[in-house]
Amino acid sequence: MADAEVEVSNPSGLHARPAATFVRASAAFAADVTVTNLTRDTLRSASAKSVLGVMGLAVARGHRIRIVAQGTDADEAVARLTELVASGLGEAIDGE
Amino acid sequence: MTRELRGTAAAPGVAIAAPWLYRASALDGPAGRPLAEAARAAADEIGELATRLRDRGREAEAEILDAQALMAIDPALHDSAGERVASGADPAVAIIEAGEAVAASFEAIGDEILAARGADVRDVAARIARIMTGAAAPRLERRSVVVARDLPPSVTVELDRALLAGIALEGGSRTSHAAILSRSLGIPAVVGVAGLCEAVPAVSELAIDGAAGLVYLDPDAETAARLATLAKDGQDRSALDAGLASSALATADGHLVTCAANIGEPAEAEAAFSAGAEAIGLFRTEFAFAGRSSAPDEVTQAAAYAEVLRASAGNEVVFRLADIGGDKPIAYLPLEPEANPFLGVRAIRLAERHPELLPTQLRAILRASAEVGQRASIMAPMVADESDLDLVLRLVADARAAVPDALTPRVGIMMEVPSAVLLADRLAPRVEFMSIGTNDLTQYLLAADRSNAALAARQDPLHPAVLRAIARVVEAGRSVPACEVAVCGEMAGDPIGALLLVGLGVDELSMEPRAFGAVKRAVGARTLPDLVALAAAAQWLSTAAEVRDAVESGP
Repeated sequence: MADAEVEVSNPSGLHARPAATFVRASAAFAADVTVTNLTRDTLRSASAKSVLGVMGLAVARGHRIRIVAQGTDADEAVARLTELVASGLGEAIDGE
Repeated sequence: MTRELRGTAAAPGVAIAAPWLYRASALDGPAGRPLAEAARAAADEIGELATRLRDRGREAEAEILDAQALMAIDPALHDSAGERVASGADPAVAIIEAGEAVAASFEAIGDEILAARGADVRDVAARIARIMTGAAAPRLERRSVVVARDLPPSVTVELDRALLAGIALEGGSRTSHAAILSRSLGIPAVVGVAGLCEAVPAVSELAIDGAAGLVYLDPDAETAARLATLAKDGQDRSALDAGLASSALATADGHLVTCAANIGEPAEAEAAFSAGAEAIGLFRTEFAFAGRSSAPDEVTQAAAYAEVLRASAGNEVVFRLADIGGDKPIAYLPLEPEANPFLGVRAIRLAERHPELLPTQLRAILRASAEVGQRASIMAPMVADESDLDLVLRLVADARAAVPDALTPRVGIMMEVPSAVLLADRLAPRVEFMSIGTNDLTQYLLAADRSNAALAARQDPLHPAVLRAIARVVEAGRSVPACEVAVCGEMAGDPIGALLLVGLGVDELSMEPRAFGAVKRAVGARTLPDLVALAAAAQWLSTAAEVRDAVESGP
């Protein structure tokens, strides 16, 4: 098992396109990956491979999330997804 | 007898046609096809519609559809539907209920953006259910005004544009997706019309006045005639704009300046040319690198670049090499955090740390150019001095040697670093064009951070210091027969900025296509000698505000 916490800093949080980017990246791993929105509700988590689950966490800019992975490539999954979120999920962090 | 319903004006234009009522989840019968198979088919359909939207330059709506394609195969939606089937529901009803449950949970969270995504989930579920029951996609049989509570982007783009006369919605606002999409597709639309869906089944003809926000049920002859006159006036106006699109960017006395477009995606090229662009003066290539998990390879990039060259049909396309770093971070290129990213390792300065980035891009541009059979123009951003230019020319030469049948590219530099402006006479003889990026040049010249709102007033390209810098670049360009000077910053798309640039002697103005009309009108109203005198005098004023006044009150 591997886990990490990261702050979401891109303007639209984990809505719409960034959520889709995140889910597509998660789907590439064999590990089960879950996400929790630590800022909003620490008890509720969702599969990182479900766009509806991820969107339902209502992660906005400035929220902290925890990513937990379990399975053969868990370490790699957490490292990759954390980096992806930290770098803005394809959105410019300052919103251009 | 005419009845009138008042709503919100969403997209201008007039339409008179039979109403066609769209219902999201009208189930015609029990499910035939299995859920998983129907969901995959729905995801494929949605993917195709997203491509159609991208081709029309509607990136924001295309992204909604991208997310919807993922929703269609989402395990959470399928698990929820599966549970309902296990307790006896028809599978098509189950998927609609599952979508409804997710939408309701989104709406319960109290986040407006998320609540709006609830509608996207309902739309996806309705599509899957429709495929399961074997019903046909919603289709217009004759010219119609489409009536609905809300019309999802996926349905709007799926309907036959030739038969879609107008849109009238009971729900929605001016900023809802349906309204934005109707405006961009040029479909007259009225939204927020209370009582519409209830009234329409008894109506045989519907008229809408999109600019006034009015819907007429069974319009009488007098109303129809009045609306027909309105429609004709609208056509006259758009014919006028279309005339302007194909007219040249020229002063009143006939001095011609190249009217070029700035684009950020391959799909924007065609629209830019039909709006009247004579060239693509700035193709920002960062799109190829953004939103990906790994660097795009040469073949992938070449395909995107070839698309733009084909759309240009022989007109010039200036590819700006990736301007990454600073304000445009990229996921898979680990960049060190910097205290001043605008003064940091960005654009061509990344060449050392990421040695494959620029060579791969250069080979991709040359490969696309060879494939289409058209020369490419290559522009290097952030060139500060001759050693930067040495590096760029060496990389271009290496790429040419590596690509068989490469056509000789035109090579130019972006003028945005003040040192390059001071050295313009040294750089100009070694390049074929210089294009001034007025946004960054202004920030660097006036030492005013673009991202600092407190300094926004200092970010004015009309500042006499910026005008003097531009004059210096133009002078350097003129002293070399083969070096053209262009401007590709926002100043080129501002009518006042454009007047000064033409007066300063710039050969090409590159801007967002929507600015073409205003810039052509402004430049066409003045003569070249007047503009030359104005630009010369402006360099001796004290502030940007004084320059603005001088241009506005000038001859």
